[in-house]
Amino acid sequence: MDHRPQAWGRPRDDVYGAYDASYLHDSGPKTATQSPVVTGTSVIGIKFKDGVVIAADNLASYGSLARFNNVKRLRTFLNSSVIGFGGDVSDMQYLDRLLSELAIDETYETDDTPEDDEETTKKTHLNAANLHKYLQKLLYQRRSKFDPLWNQILVAGTDGEGKPFLASVDLRGTAFSSASLATGFGSALAQPIMRRYAETDEQAAKLTREEAVAVVKECMKVLFYRDARSLDRYSIAVVTKAGVELAEEEQLEKQSWAFAERIRGYGTQNV
Amino acid sequence: MEFGNSGSLSEDGIHLDMDRLKKGEVNLGTSIMAVTFKDGVILGADSRTTTGAYIANRVTDKLTQVHDTIWCCRSGSAADTQAVADIVQYQLGLFHMMNGKLPTTQTAAAIFQEVCYANKDRLSAGLIIAGWDERHGGQVYSIPLGGSLHKQSYAIGGSGSTYIYGYCDANWKEGMEEADAVNFVKESLKEAIRWDGSSGGVIRMVVLTAKGADRHLYLPDTDYKVRHQ
Amino acid sequence: MTSIGTGYDLANSIFSPDGRNFQVEYAMKAVENGGTSIGIRCKEGVVLAVEKVITSKLLKHGANKRIATVDRHLGVVYSGMVPDGRHFVERARDEARDWRDAFKTPISTADLAKRMGGYMQAYTLYQSVRPFGITAIVGGYDSELESPVDGEVGSGPSCGAGGKVAGKKHGGPFLYMIEPSGLYWGYYGAATGKGRQAAKAELEKLDLSGDENGLTLEQAVKEAARIIHVAHDDNKDKEFELEMSWISGHDGPTKGLHQEVPKALREEAERLAKKILEGEEDEEEEKDKMEE
Repeated sequence: MDHRPQAWGRPRDDVYGAYDASYLHDSGPKTATQSPVVTGTSVIGIKFKDGVVIAADNLASYGSLARFNNVKRLRTFLNSSVIGFGGDVSDMQYLDRLLSELAIDETYETDDTPEDDEETTKKTHLNAANLHKYLQKLLYQRRSKFDPLWNQILVAGTDGEGKPFLASVDLRGTAFSSASLATGFGSALAQPIMRRYAETDEQAAKLTREEAVAVVKECMKVLFYRDARSLDRYSIAVVTKAGVELAEEEQLEKQSWAFAERIRGYGTQNV
Repeated sequence: MEFGNSGSLSEDGIHLDMDRLKKGEVNLGTSIMAVTFKDGVILGADSRTTTGAYIANRVTDKLTQVHDTIWCCRSGSAADTQAVADIVQYQLGLFHMMNGKLPTTQTAAAIFQEVCYANKDRLSAGLIIAGWDERHGGQVYSIPLGGSLHKQSYAIGGSGSTYIYGYCDANWKEGMEEADAVNFVKESLKEAIRWDGSSGGVIRMVVLTAKGADRHLYLPDTDYKVRHQ
Repeated sequence: MTSIGTGYDLANSIFSPDGRNFQVEYAMKAVENGGTSIGIRCKEGVVLAVEKVITSKLLKHGANKRIATVDRHLGVVYSGMVPDGRHFVERARDEARDWRDAFKTPISTADLAKRMGGYMQAYTLYQSVRPFGITAIVGGYDSELESPVDGEVGSGPSCGAGGKVAGKKHGGPFLYMIEPSGLYWGYYGAATGKGRQAAKAELEKLDLSGDENGLTLEQAVKEAARIIHVAHDDNKDKEFELEMSWISGHDGPTKGLHQEVPKALREEAERLAKKILEGEEDEEEEKDKMEE
């Protein structure tokens, strides 16, 4: 028997055979890929004449359990952009903290700009388009590490020219921009409705703020009817050059349920 | 015996399969909750710890102190949640010494969340943080599996909680008197214990107010009627 | 400078026989040559101001800011060697960020002052470094509101959390001054740099007690402008620009943020300051005449 200290506490070679050194490889596949746990559902947004309207409900689900019902999923950035988060709430909170540090960095930059130099201020200011690109790179980087941030995100605000900006990015770093956008269930249920009002940027540029808000509210209603992970309380934000107006305790209005009275049985029955 | 080839070789050369270890782990199939009330906050828990269907401990204390008047309720893996609570207890002690001021419930919640979020793929820990401090009074934070942080007026957790969502929502009142809040916690946990096979044993509570931490104990053989501590 | 030639002034980490660190004292000389900086703490917030000496006509007006933001609610101004000050600011920003990362809440003014005091002090201990050639004034407004955890979602009961201890004040305006030795104190009013003596004399005349009759934030801005002008000697000193920032509570003009004083208010304050100073000069001239 081998009495050397190195062999203490190990299975005896003469009894169990030589130790299987293949276990020594510690460079096996890394499995960091998680899955979302506490999740938010759709985010929807549509451009209009002077800006963008964006909305998301206040629910964070735990599987099918409607666990947290006052989770605000629209976050403002420097009072000039709004970011709507679908997907994992813990990753949303991580991104929220990251973005607030980014916003503090922005105040350092403006510190060094003379106050009468508005042109410079406008150019150096991190607008929604910049923010979206930043998030796209970040999410792509994380998916490439096989450790994705499990979110679908809409970014609303204005671009470098002060025109309305709306774009999405998902957990793979895939990005789109369009006159209207929706994530999750919204891409199937809300997107077709919004396209009826604004298929292109040109059409969106004809929409008034009131019209855009009405369309979004209508979409939130459809989502509440048909998305089993949704809530009738939601947040809605209007982003324009002037800034962000955010309401976080909106209640769905004028729902249609009374027709249930006329529904009897499932076919031939009428009592 | 099948060992699989996952896991890593620890320094002493013994092969450890973490997945296999985790599978046999002691779990706090649990009913826990914390509620705010007029003068502070109350934590409550059952006392059952199981490995599969076997009750490994029938008088577990799932209410863990991390600072004078900041406590947590643990659910999930016993080992994981104990390790996390130990880390936070150390950090809060350090905070107190280094900054010469008491940590707030927020401080605790922030550290708890960081640990749970950063190690989300290794931990199974569902925690409720409840604390009292001079500035903010009684507060409750919930940290579910993925490591998100939720401020709540009351929180329920563990496998037993799924049976009492309706009961709690219907009976919850803001700003209750202490006696009413104790009763709310007790009646809720009784229901959870009644319907959840993984919850049972005694009901433990901790009341956190300006006066400090006060423990309660209620036993099943007296139908949880008599306060024993 | 009786010490010159004794050798005890050549390095940090060597005391002179009478217990002095000459390197630190020389650093303070560097501060005394710098443009005057002041900080005023009043009931509604903090004002920081600096006499930014124009070293060349080729420099862009209003550029090269001397007051820096450290965190949303924290500002720093300093007198002395500007590059040292820049490094101080950089470190302060790192400290503020580290705190945020660890505790998910903004660092308090006191905690930042403590950490930066410790940092400055470390530069008096070692042979291989020299002390900072600045005295820094740190101003901040710690929120009086209940501070959430950064990124948290949800809320407590709508009736508010129970069991709060009534009558205790939390947060508010704070002002600290940190010297090259690492020494720091909390102040009602602080001044450093070339004109500190005159500035301190003026600060002492103000009611900075923070009670009802105390200075308002807007008055503090005007006093700050006046004091920087008083401290400046037109005959001897070079031209200067006045730079000012302020921090109010969440219900004040800056909503708890450290910001540059708006141009209109700054120009108004400067106009008033000049008017008062000219008035005083006239009085003095008249006095002179009467004595004749």
